[in-house]
Amino acid sequence: MTSSRRKFLTGVGGALALPSLEAFGSGNPATTRCLIVGNPFGMHPEHFFPKDFGSDFTISRTLKSLDWLKDRLTILSHTDHNMVSGHGREVSFLSGVLPANAQAFPEKNMSIDQAMARHVGAQVRYPSINIGMGSGVRMSWTANGVENALITDPQQLFDHLFLNLSNEEKKVRREMIDRNGSILDTVGAQFSQLQKSGSKQDSERLDQFATSVRELEQTLGSRREWIGKDKPTFDISEHMNGGRTIHDNYNAIFDMVAYAFETDLTRVATVAFPTNLKYTEVEGVTRSYHGCTHNGKMEDVTNELVAIESFQIAQLSRCLKRLDAIQEPGRDGSMLDHTIVLFGSGMGYGGTHSNRNLPIFVAGGGFKHLGHVDTASPNGDNMPLCNLFLTLMQRFGIEREEFNTSTGTFDLQYG
Amino acid sequence: MDRPAKCSGDLQIAVLTEMHSPSAIWRSLLRRTFVIFLLFAAPFSQAEDFPLSFKTHCFDCHNDEKAKGKFNLKDLGTGPTEANLDRWLDVLDLVKAEEMPPEDESELEADARREMIAFVESKLKAHKSSKQITRSKVRRMNNREFENSVRDALLLEDIGTHFPTADLIGDSLHHGFDTHGETLGFSRFHLEQYINAVRQIVDATILSGERPEPKTHKISPDRIMREETGQNTSRPIRYGKDGYYDIADPNRAALFADFPSTKETGRYRITIEATGKDRMEYQTKHTGYYNDDPIQLAVHMGDRVKTFTLPDEEKIEIQLDEWLAAGTYLELRHPTDAFRMRGNGNFKFQNTIAALHHKEFHPAIYNQVVEKSRIADLKKRGKERNPDTWHNWTEYWEGARPRIFGVTVEGPFYDSWPPERQIALLGENPSVEKAREILRPIAERAWRKSIESSELDPVIELVERKVDSLGEIEALKEGIVSILVSPSFLMLNREQLNAVDHFAEKFSYFLQGTLPSSQLRQSIQDGDMADFEALSNQLKKQINSQQADEFLREFPFAWLELNDINFMSPDPQRYTFYHKKEVSEDMVDEVLHFFRHIAENNLPVTELLSANYSFVNADLAGIYGLEDVPADSQFRKYTFTDGRRGGLLGMGAFLTATADSLATSPIHRAVYVMENFMGIHPTPPPPDVEISEPDVRQAKTIKEILAAHTSDETCASCHKSIDPWGYAFENFDPTGAWRDVYVNPLSMDTGEGTSKRAQRKMEDIPIDASASFRNGKAYNDITEFRDQILTDANRDRFVRCFISKLLTYANGEEPGDSDYAEIDQILQKSAEHDYRMIETIAAVVDSPLFRGE
Repeated sequence: MTSSRRKFLTGVGGALALPSLEAFGSGNPATTRCLIVGNPFGMHPEHFFPKDFGSDFTISRTLKSLDWLKDRLTILSHTDHNMVSGHGREVSFLSGVLPANAQAFPEKNMSIDQAMARHVGAQVRYPSINIGMGSGVRMSWTANGVENALITDPQQLFDHLFLNLSNEEKKVRREMIDRNGSILDTVGAQFSQLQKSGSKQDSERLDQFATSVRELEQTLGSRREWIGKDKPTFDISEHMNGGRTIHDNYNAIFDMVAYAFETDLTRVATVAFPTNLKYTEVEGVTRSYHGCTHNGKMEDVTNELVAIESFQIAQLSRCLKRLDAIQEPGRDGSMLDHTIVLFGSGMGYGGTHSNRNLPIFVAGGGFKHLGHVDTASPNGDNMPLCNLFLTLMQRFGIEREEFNTSTGTFDLQYG
Repeated sequence: MDRPAKCSGDLQIAVLTEMHSPSAIWRSLLRRTFVIFLLFAAPFSQAEDFPLSFKTHCFDCHNDEKAKGKFNLKDLGTGPTEANLDRWLDVLDLVKAEEMPPEDESELEADARREMIAFVESKLKAHKSSKQITRSKVRRMNNREFENSVRDALLLEDIGTHFPTADLIGDSLHHGFDTHGETLGFSRFHLEQYINAVRQIVDATILSGERPEPKTHKISPDRIMREETGQNTSRPIRYGKDGYYDIADPNRAALFADFPSTKETGRYRITIEATGKDRMEYQTKHTGYYNDDPIQLAVHMGDRVKTFTLPDEEKIEIQLDEWLAAGTYLELRHPTDAFRMRGNGNFKFQNTIAALHHKEFHPAIYNQVVEKSRIADLKKRGKERNPDTWHNWTEYWEGARPRIFGVTVEGPFYDSWPPERQIALLGENPSVEKAREILRPIAERAWRKSIESSELDPVIELVERKVDSLGEIEALKEGIVSILVSPSFLMLNREQLNAVDHFAEKFSYFLQGTLPSSQLRQSIQDGDMADFEALSNQLKKQINSQQADEFLREFPFAWLELNDINFMSPDPQRYTFYHKKEVSEDMVDEVLHFFRHIAENNLPVTELLSANYSFVNADLAGIYGLEDVPADSQFRKYTFTDGRRGGLLGMGAFLTATADSLATSPIHRAVYVMENFMGIHPTPPPPDVEISEPDVRQAKTIKEILAAHTSDETCASCHKSIDPWGYAFENFDPTGAWRDVYVNPLSMDTGEGTSKRAQRKMEDIPIDASASFRNGKAYNDITEFRDQILTDANRDRFVRCFISKLLTYANGEEPGDSDYAEIDQILQKSAEHDYRMIETIAAVVDSPLFRGE
């Protein structure tokens, strides 16, 4: 790193071609969005998967709230990442790769949301937003093999997405970005001294450090540019004034996600339903989420689990209704038709600790949906979930032929 | 492939071995055609020096046709290589432990066994590892080490009371270890949060501008308010009464309405007038509060907490003198795990205890209250309600609690301006001209080395560039920030460190989780820690002067994976005591007390398993069923006489962490014992095995459920070696309590209505905690298991495992197979000193595997 880097802010900033302001919808024919919703424990299989296959399937108990969208759903049976059972594998949900094996893959265990975010880049203010109340669910990972920081509170999300800064705040923030930029220059210069004397053995983890410096410089650069531009305004007070129940929190989160899509603040969002929420605020639930998964097949406890899972689906359903009510600007169809929606978990079912047959469905995205599909091959092998991910990435406009453990694509037509 | 040719002169075997890669069909065809023939025609022929016993005692099960346990004798080749080293080590381990050959298959004479062991050991010693011992790989320091290191680089007591590191990304653990290099990643998010955290810490240390004037805030009890934790915001805020404020509910802090947090950074004097109230009033069975425990008051200043003991019914004055950062929240709490026994644990339900108490001891008052509420209920609702209901009794609460009469907060004060801590860093008259002179000692501490002048150039340049826009002090602060987010600070095990600095860093992070002090570096420089003896003395000194507390806490916590204790906690409705008294915390404390005891008294590490004692308090006595333990929360040494407990194997921490919420699993416990105590890593089940969901409704014992482990040969080949390590613990339930029969969880009291189906009676099932090991040694229950756990072979396994765990903690990576001989050296050294803990640790620290050269 040379001293010319010192001017990185103006350098990088100048190179950015930003839209003048987040307009209401980009009207850009290539605009596709992606919403991913996940949980850590999978779904109670008998209540999640419909009993029959095909487009004329009967909606299942857990998915009841999606009945209105039945014709625009693809539910995939028998797909997974071929992981052995047990907790800790669900972190591979969106990549098919465990952190421990990440070194074996060029993009480590990068999750598809981050692959998509990278594709979008600085076209929007926030390449992706990753949300999970409280502890979150570990599903978003960078190409560095590092977990993505989550927004863990609706207020924090609101401030992040919609709060405009005063001129004084903008000035302070720009100054702080400049100060941090200078720190990075110094660290970079010191790093190159270090590297000169370092041997090969050290290089891999030190490279991680160098990449971080470079990426943070870029982030600061685009953040500095965006500071000057006003954000759209939005009112979510209806959800924020009350008791802030689990319903309020997720209503607020999903409303903000929908509006962030509508105003093109971002095109990629992940929302997680972590373990330690107050699910007891859901009707009929008295136990902890984790406790309910280990129900020993007791009916009362299983019912509580299904109530929790149905709650998660109902929250998502509400968001999809909202997206479906928005006309995609300048194009046919609703905003939902241009938004890839993926629901699922990296765990099949917590009760058995099974990581086979993951509960997965796709909605929206302008796909020609298939209803309930059995994706197992004729000899009974489950389909690699990465096949679906590859299809979704291609739909998103990313040109690639494989993704981690994919063996092909999942046949889901669109257009 | 050079093995096959030597392995046997027989061409067909060579062909077979080279057929590793083609399709399974092809391979099995070949087998069927030739192998049976081979077994007869060309019996096992190893390299000539192999003792005959290999052929007569191993070959039958470990050949091309039948490779039981996925082991074929041929894998051993003519001697250990990088590729087959793990197999050689397995052979040594299993033959030593007399687990191979299995006694039901083949009987091996003691002499023959000794010959085999000697042979394998000599082969292993002769195997010169091609891998040179090098320093451990560079790794990021974890968040714990980061906080300690920033603190010590800036000469502070802690990083500050304003949660400056709250936004750091949490560290992932690797089998409990937070020092694991591969797991500790680095991203732009990390870097950005490090910059923010360091800025906040430096801002609360170096103050510029005008010296703030001290103010006095007198906080009267009626301006102390109760923290609101519920959702109902329309409820009025509760303040203290005229004259005092009682912290009745331990879950809710007392807050100061007019002084919630500090506005300026500086030294504050906090004076609290308080007493303990009604310590013995209520009975422990109602409250969960031990009447022999003193009443305590915890003063929270951001994340700094100081706890004081309050005398009974006697007003005292507590004084604190603390450096607090701007934005430090102040609150008072009653630190106890009591008063959560009733209802769902919310404090309001505890008020019923006042009713029970009055009914028993003050019937006149009781009757008055009952009558009053009866009339009120009739008037309001037209019907009577249970008079003991909590809301009738809130005014009558007399549980043990701190009573606050008043608080005074004065400050900020400064011993000088600028404050001394600032002078210690920047000197009396800091200026950018002296930047190099000022920043160099900080950088030398932070980077853990002597600094050549050019190394500091980028930092000095930064300071000089910033002085015009930010001023002298702020520019120097930028310099400090850049020092503390530099790779030289954040990365451990850098190659740039010379041997002395490297060892100082290694030793200091191992023992104290922070950067080395100048004294430590000096004493290493002087050769004070150059050999085993010196290291042992140094360790003794540090451990007995509380300087190694970080190690005594963090190492056992990581090794025993205590972070996982509540990953699958016992069912809260069926194991209420465990949850309501937060017993998991006591369980972790038990481990830490016990480990510290072994270390401070330099007892043999084998006592970690063999001890017949542990450290318990009244809560643990409740779980362990001990009658003769004083009724308080203090930990005291307790000797078990029934042979069931003592040491790590009898501890709730292990027994709970390895259990499910409703049931126990001998497999989980076996795998834990094998991996964490014996250093054996059983192969995970093949991915296509369908594991059936535990069904707690069925009347089957765990042995019946796991019948496949003995009936199915694929399962049995591994589970015969695994399961006996776990069955012994079947008498311990999910909380670690003793049980003689399996209690059907459905028949357990959940405290609320269970479904009809769940109430169906089922007979309790007796427990069978017996099993036999591969080597034929059998046990009937935990007491016999404990007698057998420290055979010579198992003792070696355990100490070797302990050594490996120490190395993992220290090096940030697990030792590999090729480190076998070095670990053996450590083991020998440990054995020469009766396996005493300090000498064992010293042998680890003195090993090339630790020193990295």
